[in-house]
Amino acid sequence: MTYGTTGKILRVDLTNRTTRVETFDEAFYRVYPGGKALAAYILLRELPRGAEPFDPANILVLANGVLTGAPFSTATRYTVIARSPLTRGFGEAEAGGFWGPELKMAGWEAVVITGRAEKPVYLWIKNDQVEIRDARHLWGRDPEEVQNTIRAELSDKLIRILQIGIGGENLVRFAGLTNELRHFNARTGMGAVMGSKNLRAVAVRGTTRYADLAQDPKTIAALGTTLAKRVKEHPQSWDLQSKGTPGLVDGLNAAGILPTRNFHQGAFENVDDIKWEKYEKELLTARRSCYACAVRCKREVKVDNRYQVSDAYGGPEYESLDSLGPNCGIGDLQALAKANELCNRYLLDSISCGATIAFAMECFEHGLIGLKETGGIDLRFGNTEAMLTMIELIAKRQGIGDLLAEGTRRAAEIIGGDARYFAMQVKGQELPMHDPRGKTAVGLMYAINEAGADHLAAAHDTVLANPDSVGFKGAAPLGIEALPARELSERKARTYFILENWVSAEKVTGLCYFGPTPRSFIQVDEVVNALRAATGWDVTAQEVMRIGERATNLARAFNVREGFTRQQDILPERLHQPLENGALAGALISKEEFNNAMNALYRLKGWDPVTTAPTRAKLRELGIEWVADLLEEK
Amino acid sequence: MRLHLGGHLAWYESQKRSRVEISVPRSTLLIDVLRELVIPPGEIAIAVVNGAAVDLQTARVSDADRVELFPPVGGGM
Repeated sequence: MTYGTTGKILRVDLTNRTTRVETFDEAFYRVYPGGKALAAYILLRELPRGAEPFDPANILVLANGVLTGAPFSTATRYTVIARSPLTRGFGEAEAGGFWGPELKMAGWEAVVITGRAEKPVYLWIKNDQVEIRDARHLWGRDPEEVQNTIRAELSDKLIRILQIGIGGENLVRFAGLTNELRHFNARTGMGAVMGSKNLRAVAVRGTTRYADLAQDPKTIAALGTTLAKRVKEHPQSWDLQSKGTPGLVDGLNAAGILPTRNFHQGAFENVDDIKWEKYEKELLTARRSCYACAVRCKREVKVDNRYQVSDAYGGPEYESLDSLGPNCGIGDLQALAKANELCNRYLLDSISCGATIAFAMECFEHGLIGLKETGGIDLRFGNTEAMLTMIELIAKRQGIGDLLAEGTRRAAEIIGGDARYFAMQVKGQELPMHDPRGKTAVGLMYAINEAGADHLAAAHDTVLANPDSVGFKGAAPLGIEALPARELSERKARTYFILENWVSAEKVTGLCYFGPTPRSFIQVDEVVNALRAATGWDVTAQEVMRIGERATNLARAFNVREGFTRQQDILPERLHQPLENGALAGALISKEEFNNAMNALYRLKGWDPVTTAPTRAKLRELGIEWVADLLEEK
Repeated sequence: MRLHLGGHLAWYESQKRSRVEISVPRSTLLIDVLRELVIPPGEIAIAVVNGAAVDLQTARVSDADRVELFPPVGGGM
């Protein structure tokens, strides 16, 4: 087979300690070409309706896309999908790094894990040999030690290891996974699902080559050369390499949309203390990469000063800098490097972790929790040591950390009173560090995304506001309009819809958000040509967007089946209230404009505006009419 | 004039610098300064002079000013 895959899925039943091989054909793969589409297909067809996230029946799918492991920049991503313990709906978390490509080279498109091991185990996959191994000696250990131990006991330093940490072992509802200690499937609590299965790690070693799987490996190789050269010649990819995401801090602050003090404010008074220039001077030790990627947007940091920060776990990205920083009222860069290291060491999602601490700080300042609940910790905004202590308590579920490990929505229900107004979440997942009051389609994205608030499900309005910008011009062939960032309208919904489909396709095919236009440097025709070269299929940009749309519809159908309706597609009340300070002081999202835009969006998507269920006609158009039958089953 | 080029705007500067100090005639149009530096206005989302947001097309600057320019900012990680 030469259409970008071996057509093999590894099935693992941890309860019965059995494994088996499943194969699929090309016709199936053209409809579900890996990643989110393949994983959502499996979850929707096989997870019993109503099975809870920590039930052994929950299905953990680790899936590559058709392009994962292709030797060109940003083709590195794999997804982890299961029913989410944070949202009780469709859970998903993508990551780059090295594990996905290694799994591809081992000959597997996906690993599907069910059941629960009696004792901690890890999975060892070497090409087509698979072994379930004892991991009792690894349980409770730091990821770096686990990685070193596994490589030593299997006598192979080149093994790539995907693993959970202490957060996942302790079922923290926003626990994630890492590969190579620096790349994270952080969101929606996939690490807790893996922990509930007593599965600490999946170690992989593969020895085949992507060139053997691709229909036209020469074209793929040529694209690799072209893109590697272009990184420095294109402003967006140059910026990602030069500064990485920490470079976003000052621009967002100037725009008045740097989430500060639990989204009360959009500008932080001590922003100079966490700007890129300081980061580069005080923290940075190296720029790092994912598999075969010339962008090199990852940062490595080390601190040996007021805090000791290991260089093993990667440097803070923008999201971590803000969620644990200004959003908690904190501007101490070294402390933020430490907080980021702790989240990465315990394998907690640094977005949800920071947002949950900010929530707790606001509850404390309003007297909803007191010193008795915090164990004597003065949990006010700006208390750096309190923030660091909270990360430890959450990971270990000690003291108030046991409550906060439930995430903001559950914690607010338990605390009661006005706490729910301080929980900045959608469907139970905490907001990333982008304020929709300054870029309204991000509000549509947060509200409608099946996995809860997510900032990487479509392009952000700001990149598309100016028709002369490099971002807009790149994505223009998709049929979008240049619209003001704060406009919230039917035409904004339309442009959002197009870009959601385009970006969703990245999550299916295995491309990074920092690859294709409008966020970065790979052009529309190059994405299409890469898919053609990998598969031999005569795809078009329209088909790429249908691939993305189909995956979204599968995820939506999963949520609808589990009882989600339009009532879950809403924003936190605070976003309908004015920003307190900064360049957009007074800005808010009008409820009327938001509801009208959401109505338009459901129409565009072919979904019922009340139940949000995809119509049979839409599902037929996408070639997945079986989903309509499934939704009609009682 | 002290000029800060945020995000990918520094890519357009001849030496890829994000901080530049330049001399300008008194009360020069900012847009003319950018034309001189070959920085495309289409990439500028926010212009700030001495801490206050300004209109890129009409703002005037002098040697004593501190100017910050930022491109549109997309998603992080």
